[in-house]
Amino acid sequence: MTELDVRGLSCPMPLMHTKKALESDPAEIVVHADSGTAKANVAALLADEGYTVTIEESGEEYRIKGVRA
Amino acid sequence: MTKRRVIGPTAWILGGAGLFIGAVAAWLVSQGNPGNMGLCIACFLRDIMGFFVGGSTNQAAVAYIRPEIIGIILGAMGAALVTREFRPRGGSQPIVRFVLGFIFMAGALIFLGCTVRAWLRLGGGDLSALWGVAGIVAGVIVGIVFLKRGFNMGRAKNLAKPLGWLLPAVGVAMLAFLLLSTYGAKPDWATVTPANGKAVVPGEVVVTTDGTVIKPTDAALVDGAVVAADGTVLADAEKVAATKPMPGGKRAPLWISLVAGLAIGVVAQRSRFCSIGGIRDAILVRRFDLLFGVVGLLIGATVVNMIFGQYNLGFTGQPVAHNDALGSFAAMTVATFAAILLGGCPFRQVIMGSEGDADSFMAVAGMLVGAGATHFFKLASSAAGLADIAWPALGVMAVVLVAVAVLGSRTTA
Repeated sequence: MTELDVRGLSCPMPLMHTKKALESDPAEIVVHADSGTAKANVAALLADEGYTVTIEESGEEYRIKGVRA
Repeated sequence: MTKRRVIGPTAWILGGAGLFIGAVAAWLVSQGNPGNMGLCIACFLRDIMGFFVGGSTNQAAVAYIRPEIIGIILGAMGAALVTREFRPRGGSQPIVRFVLGFIFMAGALIFLGCTVRAWLRLGGGDLSALWGVAGIVAGVIVGIVFLKRGFNMGRAKNLAKPLGWLLPAVGVAMLAFLLLSTYGAKPDWATVTPANGKAVVPGEVVVTTDGTVIKPTDAALVDGAVVAADGTVLADAEKVAATKPMPGGKRAPLWISLVAGLAIGVVAQRSRFCSIGGIRDAILVRRFDLLFGVVGLLIGATVVNMIFGQYNLGFTGQPVAHNDALGSFAAMTVATFAAILLGGCPFRQVIMGSEGDADSFMAVAGMLVGAGATHFFKLASSAAGLADIAWPALGVMAVVLVAVAVLGSRTTA
């Protein structure tokens, strides 16, 4: 499983980092984000790349999980 | 088996959001806003600054608290609160962000429009905006070079709650001053461009489009000419007729602007519409979602401008615009480069600031101060073209941007 932390990063860093992490085609990926924009962008990218996306929300962050469908 | 899709549902949501914002912006022009300026983040922040400091920054013609900005701030804040996306955060190079906001504003006021208005000008048939759009593309490409080299401003952190409320608080204060100056008494120190006012002789003779003489107070309109109490003709009828209304005096009714701003704020917060991110993401990460946003904006504005008979195709005679190709290109390149380093266009900065982002608040503060400074130093362009010091100023700003970009390139911790 690939895990990465994009908390606190401005656009387009969250997308760049996630895109890079996807190059190794992981079966499962978890991205930690803390802004609504990063959450939405990363979730949309994962969904478009063919992952089934679930988002867990806590007071501190969004945990975006993508599993290869 | 991997199923990849290039155009996902978010692309269509952004396209719809852009369509809505472009259509509302063009409609606001029919309601009284300046031509191709139904919505302009840079121009409207500048007008707001004019209200507060316009008396000392040569901003008599561009001074009015634009309700659209207040609406956008409160609408985005409300949407973020409802969806629990309001998060006080910041601490990622706030001073640098202030400087970048300042430079963005100066570039936008040399072009005559921000990265949102560039598309709206094009949507009104103003082909001189194409030079600005070319500048946007160039600015994105320059910015991408540094993003690829590793430019970033470090991570923002969660902040103490009050710091997240900076921009919303400023929005509420602006609303209070707007209502006070409209329905109560305008404070003596404030500047408000008279509604539909025409500066026939700037600073001396001001009349409204419906024929009221505002300045000098003892003059009257006689057969279209402005005549003083002692019979002296201060401005002949030809001059009065040829003078165009000041941009700050062209405005839709207060409540219409406010409600339109609220709607735009909600739509922009939910959709994450950005006026430069589309081109950036298309080149950098081959994502086209945000591009649908600006294409939607262009289509929405074009269609509504045509419906209201506001569409005027051509390079010259365009409202609040000049046709200096090289100047427009360079100014927009500088402005967009600054916006790329900020991580989003000025519209996004206002939206994020309304979601609790104190760094974006600093960028907006930089834009406000930059607007005052740009007019104080007579750097802003006019319909006649660029100011004398525009080119040296653009050179200095480009050097500062490159320095910020080079010094800020490092690996993310």
